Amino acid sequence: MKRRFVENFLPPAATFLLTTAAAEFGIRAAGISPLLLPTPSAVARAALQHSPTLLPALAMTAQAVAVGLALSIAVGLLVAIALSTSRWVERAFYPYAIFFQIVPIVAIAPLLVIWFGYGMRAVVAAAFIVSVFPVIANSLAGLLSVDPALRDLFRLYGASGFAQLWKLSLPWALPNVLTGLRIAAGLAVIGAIVGEFVGGGGLGVVVLEAMRQQRTDLVFAAVLHAAALGLALFAAVNATSHFALRRWHSQETEP
Amino acid sequence: MSRLFGPHLVVAIGMATLLAIVACGSKDAATRDAAGKVALALNWKPEPEFGGLYEAERIDAFAKRGLTLELTGGPGAPVVQMVEAGKVEFGIAAADEVMLARDRGTDIVAVFATYQTNPQGIMVHAARGLHSLADLFAAGGTLAVEPGVAYTKFFEKHYDLAKMRIVPYGYSIAPFLNDPTMAQQVFVTAEPIAARRQGADPQLFLIAESGFNPYAAVVITTGARARGETKRVADFVAALREGWRGYLDDPTQANALMGQLNKEMDAETFRLGAAAQQPLIEDAFAKQYGVGAMSLERWATLGKQLQELGLIDAPPAPQDCFVQVEALGSAPQQPR
Amino acid sequence: MSAPDPTAARTGVAVRVRGAHRVFRSAGEADVAAVEGLDLSIAAGEFVAILGPSGCGKSTLLRMIAGLEVLDAGSIAVGDGGSAPKNALAYVFQDAHLLPWRNVLSNVALPLELQGRAAGERRDAAARAIASVGLADAARRHPAQLSGGMRMRVSLARALVTEPRLLLLDEPFAALDEITRQGLDDQLRALWAATGMTVLFVTHSIAEAAFLAERAVVLTRRPARVVLEHTLDLPAQRDAALRGDARFAREMSVLYQALRRGNGEAA
Repeated sequence: MKRRFVENFLPPAATFLLTTAAAEFGIRAAGISPLLLPTPSAVARAALQHSPTLLPALAMTAQAVAVGLALSIAVGLLVAIALSTSRWVERAFYPYAIFFQIVPIVAIAPLLVIWFGYGMRAVVAAAFIVSVFPVIANSLAGLLSVDPALRDLFRLYGASGFAQLWKLSLPWALPNVLTGLRIAAGLAVIGAIVGEFVGGGGLGVVVLEAMRQQRTDLVFAAVLHAAALGLALFAAVNATSHFALRRWHSQETEP
Repeated sequence: MSRLFGPHLVVAIGMATLLAIVACGSKDAATRDAAGKVALALNWKPEPEFGGLYEAERIDAFAKRGLTLELTGGPGAPVVQMVEAGKVEFGIAAADEVMLARDRGTDIVAVFATYQTNPQGIMVHAARGLHSLADLFAAGGTLAVEPGVAYTKFFEKHYDLAKMRIVPYGYSIAPFLNDPTMAQQVFVTAEPIAARRQGADPQLFLIAESGFNPYAAVVITTGARARGETKRVADFVAALREGWRGYLDDPTQANALMGQLNKEMDAETFRLGAAAQQPLIEDAFAKQYGVGAMSLERWATLGKQLQELGLIDAPPAPQDCFVQVEALGSAPQQPR
Repeated sequence: MSAPDPTAARTGVAVRVRGAHRVFRSAGEADVAAVEGLDLSIAAGEFVAILGPSGCGKSTLLRMIAGLEVLDAGSIAVGDGGSAPKNALAYVFQDAHLLPWRNVLSNVALPLELQGRAAGERRDAAARAIASVGLADAARRHPAQLSGGMRMRVSLARALVTEPRLLLLDEPFAALDEITRQGLDDQLRALWAATGMTVLFVTHSIAEAAFLAERAVVLTRRPARVVLEHTLDLPAQRDAALRGDARFAREMSVLYQALRRGNGEAA
């Protein structure tokens, strides 16, 4: 267990420290204006100094992301199940799901504010729109990849459609659903921030204010908070995946 | 193991590239200087606020002095950063932006102030029967402003904003038109006119009336250029002043030019906008010292205000913030 | 290795295949006739091996008998009625095909679960089936923790948990090593002897067919038709030593010749 900790955390930690140190000295040596590219130490200072603003903003963004992501999972899974029922249904409706993938959120964010009003609802909508498609696409792929022999087995014993879905297809698709979730988590953060640019609140507004007030170090600090949020979600999905799938694959099992 | 190093290597290379690009930025301006080309970054679309610039171009005021104007930028352009990095020689910004940049350690100076009175304001529906900004804040409702603008902090300090719901301004008057309790930031030459044309009855409160009055549509450049290339800057400002003289006397042709570039504004709006901004550009001070002239007193006041609002740590010396160029005549260097 | 107890009740069902036809059509490609006019009769409680070259349609035949594949023409009768009642049939695939998220006990109990039997009943029946294949210790383990041979035994236990009257196996031991395979062959014959169910065993191994079955049916290459139905002239008691016996080699030769004939080669 200790060896795994060292193996997994030491390389990225070491690279992070090296890159940060290199950036600090490099930026100073090159004499780059703090307005253009602040040093890591300046960003850290800004993060500490402005934590009374950053932390509540982070909480707001995190809340919108959580709700948006929850909606993406629920709706995404239901849509994937519906699409998996027949080839005809899939061909008829899948292109509309792709719409969620290609619509540029920056362009429709103002529309979201018109429909949902300023504040949390529009931001949640933005987070949902950008994060739902990976859930649909990956879950559908998982549902359609069920072992045909197992399908035969279920048919042989007269299992109902619901029994097949609940006892076979959904558990089978779980790794794919989690993969989709991994992607959706990061996208939900992006969607929320863009939504906040137009709808107000959270880290998005902090970024706009900081840019307006020439505080590039604060811009970076806010962006890092958003990145940390995305990273935390990613780690959470990974942990869930590890816990849920640990019996499935021989690598995960202790002999 | 290598799987973990791979992405980090990419990040390190990316950062190094970014550093290199940024460090090499100043080379661009040097090549441009030599050719007599002058690059200027705008912070909005072609509208009456830039009327003098387009008029100067039209009457060859720049060409006469051996300068070729290259306009760039637009809404959302990071003008201060572009000037700082040497991507452009001049830019259009607000006076408070100049002070903020100086506070962050950047040597940016102003050479020309288009507006003596700040043209930003808050627009409300006249039907609400409000007489002042104080009335508005007492009444409440939604207020759409660009996040982070200095005057929001000014309002927070001098008024009780508990009843106001502050939301980001999306540069569209549609929410305002649809909601009678909504207020929004405006530029005197644009939104109020557009709102009236769409049948609304807007009432305008200039932020300058509340005591916060930074110069606006200020032409900025680097301190090094303002102090080192005095002839070039003087020529530029002189050309610009000629253009403004022409635009103030008759804006029609420059408006037509700008109308070609900015299809979102029609000729009538251009005309009304030019008329609305006239008193804000040429007041008693500008009549005496020339359009674009600035005073130490105004900069000193702004410095104190920004410090009070916590936007800067210490006010920069007023005389460092701007350069009074010879071409503008004898403007006072002493506070009046 | 025990022979079937003649006094035990024959619980197996008979199977009658008459003129079975199956053609696979796919757009833009030529039709593939898998089975064409095939007749086959299997008595209740018989152990029959079906031999044939790869791709000849023997899997398709098995699937048709199981009701997993439709017939384009002809008929298949299982037992007294038309098609088999749902709990009389069991099928063992080429790979174990276990649910990786369930443990062994839960996997074996699956057929009973799908048929709506109560939890306690399921658990007991599953435990019995697991014991009958000698995996009682592994009941709580997950498929990922088992070897290939053990997984196949779990698959076998799953097939037996409903006490089927007809057991269909499609080359179930082909992917296993020789020792494991022979061990499972023995186990299968013992289970057949104990239950008296009808067993249909598809294989392309002549040795396996000869060792396991009472009767071997040799099919031609595609489209499948019967070349030879041969009752094996071997003792009812089959043990490992039999494989080295001259009689065994002779029976294998008979089957081999039939295979070659069916494959269109000179006998």
